[in-house]
Amino acid sequence: MNRFVEYQIKLFCWISGVVLIGAIGILLAFLFNKGISSLNLSLIFGETRLLDGLLLKTEVVDGLFPAIIGTLLLIITSIIWAIPIGVAAGIYLAEYCNIKWKPVFNLMLDVLAGIPSILVGLFGFAVSVFLHKHLSEHIYPCFLISSLALACLVLPYIIRTTEQSLVNLPFSIKTTGLALGASRLQNILFILIPYNLSRIISGIILAIGRCAEDTAVIMLTGVVAMAGIPNSLLSQYEALPFYIFYISSDYNSQEELMKGFGACIILLSICVFLFALSHILKRRAVMRFTTHT
Amino acid sequence: MKNIKIRINDLNFFYKKKPVLKGLKGEVEEKAITTIIGPSGVGKTTFLMVLNRLCESIPDCSVEGKVEIKLDGRYIDINSLPLTTLRKKVGIVFQVPNPLPMSIFKNIAFPLKLSGVKDREYIKEKVEQALKDAFLWDEVKARLNDSALELSGGQQQRLCIARAMIMQPEVLLLDEPTSSLDMEAALKITELLKSLKEKCTLIVVSHYTSLTRKISDNVLTLKDGCLEISENSKIVEGLGTVN
Repeated sequence: MNRFVEYQIKLFCWISGVVLIGAIGILLAFLFNKGISSLNLSLIFGETRLLDGLLLKTEVVDGLFPAIIGTLLLIITSIIWAIPIGVAAGIYLAEYCNIKWKPVFNLMLDVLAGIPSILVGLFGFAVSVFLHKHLSEHIYPCFLISSLALACLVLPYIIRTTEQSLVNLPFSIKTTGLALGASRLQNILFILIPYNLSRIISGIILAIGRCAEDTAVIMLTGVVAMAGIPNSLLSQYEALPFYIFYISSDYNSQEELMKGFGACIILLSICVFLFALSHILKRRAVMRFTTHT
Repeated sequence: MKNIKIRINDLNFFYKKKPVLKGLKGEVEEKAITTIIGPSGVGKTTFLMVLNRLCESIPDCSVEGKVEIKLDGRYIDINSLPLTTLRKKVGIVFQVPNPLPMSIFKNIAFPLKLSGVKDREYIKEKVEQALKDAFLWDEVKARLNDSALELSGGQQQRLCIARAMIMQPEVLLLDEPTSSLDMEAALKITELLKSLKEKCTLIVVSHYTSLTRKISDNVLTLKDGCLEISENSKIVEGLGTVN
């Protein structure tokens, strides 16, 4: 290749990297500049005393505490629904799926990945209306419907990363267990999954990020502005993304808007915390597989 | 009269409907080293994978014909055996060492774990014995908890042989076990293979005349998809199909 063209491509790649890092830097700087002043305990607990709020002795009505707890619970519950189904579907596609059916499944998966989140929310809402009509009048859009709808939204990430990590393994690794007398299931459970744990968890981390930020799905399926901490799966709840959307579109004072920026920083911190936790779990899982116990 | 461990009759292997192995016929002597030689791409590795049905993991392939293995004095069609049983009886070691990314101890103990063995003392004993059989014990006994990936190429290959031997297979298939190793490591593997033939039947695919000459009791040549019996003496004289 012409050296000039090679240099141009290298320069373009370098600029792309700088633009990406710069954009993230500017975004974070803007966010912290606007929101750092509003970050204090009264933003989270309002007028309620810290210990009373944390121990749930007094309900926090004018702070973000219920929204923080709601967001955390929502992410954890959605991921709990999505992991077994997503990993199992990824294993099925990589190891068991008939070669004739595989393109059909892949097409379905691509369609699911491409569905706008507002449609997933609408589907969740339709499900709650259906259940309200046909199963129980006590069922409304709620935490359960939201978490299930979010799980649907993030399933493609988990399925794809699981499938791709298994498919791309070298033949010699795929057959190591089989050659030693492992059954197909043993080979999957004892070799293929532990071998790919790092990549599978990366898919889960992506899914966590998506669960934390999505607003369209939860808006239609159970989130409200002043619901408090959910006390059952059928309760309505509060969540930070919705609070940010609500406050930024309907703020009454500059102070309220600053609180919105503060909520953004808290949401970002929750994501960073969950990512860090996932990385620690990933390292521990890999260590456990690779060393003698 | 020789004791025959494996009988191969009219064996055909097709990959994407194209024949790779055509009407193979042959016998493999028990408790001896049989070397398969032949030009590159002729299907030597495929032949090994047919013997323990690992070829069934390859998409778009099919096998016809009969392979029988002598177990407890009776010849049994390998297709009638459960896969896991067959693969415990017929172990395989690949060309490139493939230790699992876990400790040396866990690697060797892995087949026992698959078989549901839980007695830790028994596992320790078996691991030690397997490593001694593979001439590896003295080199790794102080670092059994280290990752197997930290071993040298020759040590990794001996670890893979020890791992395959821990289930006491009746037949051990080895696909060019010395091809990715230096002279010294290859020599150790050669000595190891000679010692193992007292315990099981060995079928070795090799490109190297020197290895074939040193270890083989019998030599089979795979050429144009067919199997021919060669004499080891001819290999010695350089008349084999490989250099």
